Amino acid sequence: MVGENTALTRALLYGCALLALAFFIGPIFWFVLLAIRPPDTAFAMPPVLFFEPTLAAFRHTLVNPGVNAPQAVNSLVVALCTVLLNLPFSVPAAYALSRFPIRAKKHIMLWYLGLLMAPPVAFLIPYFVLATQIGLAGSYLMMVLVMQTLTIPFSVWLMKSFIDEVPVELEEAARIDGARWHQVMLRVTLPIVRPGIIVTSMFAFVFAWNNTAFPLVLSSRSTATLPVGTLGYFATAGVTWNYIAAAAVIAMIPPMVIFLVFDRYVVRGLTFGSVKG
Amino acid sequence: MPSDIAVAAAARRVKPARARVGVLPYALLLPSVLLLGTLIAYPLAFALTNSFRFWNLAVSPEPMMGVGFDNYAMILDSPDFLRALLNTVMLTVAGTAVEFALGFAIALVLSSALPGMSAARALLILPTTIAPIVVGFLYRYMYDPSGGLAVFILHTIGLPPPAEGLLGSANTALISVLFADVWQWTPFVAIILYAGLLSVPQEVLEAARLDGASRWTMVWRIKLPLIRQTALIVVMLRFMQLFNTFDLVLVLTRGGPGTATRTLGYSLYELGMVQYNIGMASAMTWIIVILVNIFIGIFFYIAFKGREL
Repeated sequence: MVGENTALTRALLYGCALLALAFFIGPIFWFVLLAIRPPDTAFAMPPVLFFEPTLAAFRHTLVNPGVNAPQAVNSLVVALCTVLLNLPFSVPAAYALSRFPIRAKKHIMLWYLGLLMAPPVAFLIPYFVLATQIGLAGSYLMMVLVMQTLTIPFSVWLMKSFIDEVPVELEEAARIDGARWHQVMLRVTLPIVRPGIIVTSMFAFVFAWNNTAFPLVLSSRSTATLPVGTLGYFATAGVTWNYIAAAAVIAMIPPMVIFLVFDRYVVRGLTFGSVKG
Repeated sequence: MPSDIAVAAAARRVKPARARVGVLPYALLLPSVLLLGTLIAYPLAFALTNSFRFWNLAVSPEPMMGVGFDNYAMILDSPDFLRALLNTVMLTVAGTAVEFALGFAIALVLSSALPGMSAARALLILPTTIAPIVVGFLYRYMYDPSGGLAVFILHTIGLPPPAEGLLGSANTALISVLFADVWQWTPFVAIILYAGLLSVPQEVLEAARLDGASRWTMVWRIKLPLIRQTALIVVMLRFMQLFNTFDLVLVLTRGGPGTATRTLGYSLYELGMVQYNIGMASAMTWIIVILVNIFIGIFFYIAFKGREL
């Protein structure tokens, strides 16, 4: 392909790529600037590009009074617990679906996939009423539990794609040496797919970290996650945009870092393993 | 322990690997199926029973009385629901189409494999990593009538936005919501289609070129058909996520002005979590669940028919 590109087409292609980058990255950049600009320049017309940067908004959201700091911790607790709880359910299921001739395998796989495309709001109201009735309203446990409806199907699909790549011959060699299936799984296969488990956990973490629908109705003031807590700024008179941006930037960082670090696996993660990147 | 393995090996002759797996696969599968089954069955059963009852949480903590199919009838009759359905269909169809077209174009640019394109690809995914609700914050700022960047740009290029603001006018609100979604998810489409394009064998492209195929022919007759499977998965995911749109609307417009940006997802949220009308919300849940299942069924049939999973 490269060889037949003329200087003109090359220039055109670079032009398009730069335009795309400006369009898709520009607004993020502009929002980050909002978090560090003096409040009186936030809505200046024409827009102010150069200013004395200040960390005042971050100080306000994280330190004094720091309303968003405990919310960031809540986000972290919920997302981490969600991922940890999901692994013992999803990894064995993925192994079974990858390795054994299970009846109705395709239906089971599609059932999981269907759950990932289910409307979250359809579940919110029953979960909200249930949580209130059984005294789990506002608890981490309830949030972590219902998030499994997303993370387990996601992890089963993604993990299966990693386990599919481990040559069956390795397992057969262990079998011939007399190992039983659970030993093969625990001592041969899982150690090999450890990178896959890490990648799966990372993307499942992003899934849980970014989920807002469940914490929106299931968290309390003290367990509110970062995006839900940030919504609170809109309820107070006189929207404080610098604080919103600062809190939002904090919410953006972990997913961005994970996507950039695990760049190689992004396509696979986003398509639950159905497209190899 | 190795000694276990040695003993087991000595004790019996090993059968071919596939034999004698017994119930193990099902035992491995069962915990996840049970947990998920419970987590799904409960809300569905809850919604089904309460869809036949009058129950407003603001009035009573317990269901009040049976009303037959009244809740369903009221929803299907209400102009708000029909408007929400129409908005959702418009948002879903337009969003999927625009994101696919734009995403495919970007994927083609990226697949030119010029130096620097892989860095562009890595950065381009950033909007997709952001929580939709945070994208909502971002675009409320961009659209702010008193000084949003989008408003400034529109003025500059001679397309002044309505005085009520982009989100405040019934003419522009839905398009503005759509725009935010397109901004967030086009990179997602682009990057997945780009991965698909990479898997198109070079020999095929080379052969087509030798046969004198134009760039245009190569794109439509060779590249797109060869990445059909990937394209179907992307379209399916975007279609369903757009159909379920809720967070973005919650932050940007709360369904307004009037009912201009009400989506099915947002209507349901409002009915249940703002008006606390559990009976009607339950009926609406089932209407939406049925619609979603029809779409998923169609997509699964097209995308996975005759394919091993």
